[in-house]
Amino acid sequence: MQVEKMGFPTAPLVTIAFKDLAKSNAASRGMPLERICFLPHPMTNKSDEEMYKVLEGNDPITNKPLMPEMIAALTQPLTADEKKTGTISPDIGPPTYVGTQDELQRLYCDNNLTDFMPIILPTEEKVQAMLKGTSHKPDEVIGKLSAAQGAQPSWSFTVKHVAINAVMAGASPEYLPVILAISATGQPALFSSTSSFSRMVMLNGPISDQIKMNYGIGAMGPFAEPNAVIGRAWTILSKNLGGCGVPGLSYLGTLGSNFNYNNLCIAETENRLPDGWKPFHVQKGFKPDESVVSIFSGWSLNNVAWFPNMPYHELIKNWLTHFFSFGTSAATLLLDPTIAREAKEKGFNSKEELSDYWSKESKTPAWLYWDTHQPQLKQAQAGVEPYASYLKMGDGEIPFQRFYRRGRPGAPPDPNPKSSIEVIVLGGETNTYWAGGDFSYVTSASIDKWR
Amino acid sequence: MKINRRKLLSILGVSPAILAGSPALGDQKKKKAPPTAVEAKLETLNPKGMPPAVQLVPMAPRLDTLDGKTVFLVSDGFAGADRFLAQIAIWFQKNMPSVKTVYRLKAGSYFDDDPKLMAEIKASGNAMIMAYGH
Repeated sequence: MQVEKMGFPTAPLVTIAFKDLAKSNAASRGMPLERICFLPHPMTNKSDEEMYKVLEGNDPITNKPLMPEMIAALTQPLTADEKKTGTISPDIGPPTYVGTQDELQRLYCDNNLTDFMPIILPTEEKVQAMLKGTSHKPDEVIGKLSAAQGAQPSWSFTVKHVAINAVMAGASPEYLPVILAISATGQPALFSSTSSFSRMVMLNGPISDQIKMNYGIGAMGPFAEPNAVIGRAWTILSKNLGGCGVPGLSYLGTLGSNFNYNNLCIAETENRLPDGWKPFHVQKGFKPDESVVSIFSGWSLNNVAWFPNMPYHELIKNWLTHFFSFGTSAATLLLDPTIAREAKEKGFNSKEELSDYWSKESKTPAWLYWDTHQPQLKQAQAGVEPYASYLKMGDGEIPFQRFYRRGRPGAPPDPNPKSSIEVIVLGGETNTYWAGGDFSYVTSASIDKWR
Repeated sequence: MKINRRKLLSILGVSPAILAGSPALGDQKKKKAPPTAVEAKLETLNPKGMPPAVQLVPMAPRLDTLDGKTVFLVSDGFAGADRFLAQIAIWFQKNMPSVKTVYRLKAGSYFDDDPKLMAEIKASGNAMIMAYGH
């Protein structure tokens, strides 16, 4: 669209799986009649010959020959509608709805305003009661939310908008500062990607005890109201305040994620941290007595129930070597306090020391290394070191440490890269279990600011 | 022996009223249901935030022909887009050899702008075909 704005005709090519997304994206950016040409889906697995055959075939939407259609997109004179200017205000429906309880439950559900579970209906009275949970004015604009910043439209929202969604999720007024802080990060619970992102939200500081978050037995399960409701509120508000979660338009995750119902809403077990280990929010620069919410992004978790004949920190190092998913360079470990204490006894005086050990000592399976390092494979085959030596290792483990924060492609290498492994301690100490996954830390925000 | 049906039913814990028989289904339909309290209606708030207003952007004027023109073939970096654009270049070579094609990989993620590439297209291009991979 940038090129069209510069005055040059364009023909965007999109596969049919993204038909609705492409059209709505063009419309939301002001060019509803953009001349998009469609291709079969998927294209990535086709040979060059098969791709050429696609070119000689038809657009699967219009059924017209593809190449002539592409050429016409660039050469056919514009229609009056394609030249239109002006402003369009999106329709978000009436300010209020009227009906019986059952009718309204059905209306909110049918209009994709919920997570498809029953809600508390947001009457003005209930919303006013919710607003007592913060000192901020109802009409204060908090920020923007989008299903994918830059690719999807960014919606604005106020304190009252968040309060309405908090009521719907079943929140109490004392949870509102947490939900406001989450919304203020601008991070959606439902990200548009085809890869079915999951999110995780963690509370630290005095707020956890104040609102009775569960961080003991079953810390990640449905065993306490704030854990359940705050996580749920994030998903509902992402839909209603950011336009997220419309399948085919603002949500493309092919498998989806069950984590999206609650976003793994947890609190760290700060009172059972080993001596010298800092709570997560203190690691990120906040004071111990500050209440903070932290956001993580990833896809999956392994819950590991295994009694090894080696210390747990070594077991986890080996797990890290062989763990892979969509992301291959970040990890978050959720340790029961019993595991954290053993690591402390083995000489790890902080989470950072443990994280650094795992980053330095974990390796990469040969198949995964070569699959993600194709240029190096060519160099290895040409005898360039150290890749040639790696190739001689066969199917073993390559001494390549992948759990480090790296700059964007093309950026100069960081001489002192930091570990990309985060450590969280939580759980009820009923056994020496831990979980690990591909979640990476995104950001933290003050809850106190929203009290 | 004559059975006192009412007494028997009482012993079995069933109300003797059952002996009154049940009305036929048709009769039930004819009778109006007893009036119940009208369910209260509620007024609830729309939970939606504020999507941005859309400023319509007129499309660029089209070319009279592609003959002798330079068409940039741009990939957003997703897998497969580069190979597909290479086939488009081959197609033009075979079928419209007067069209010059230039392949470029857009910098950044698929929704980032690439000012350097935009400047290059402005300086030396006439049109663009952009492939979004997958």
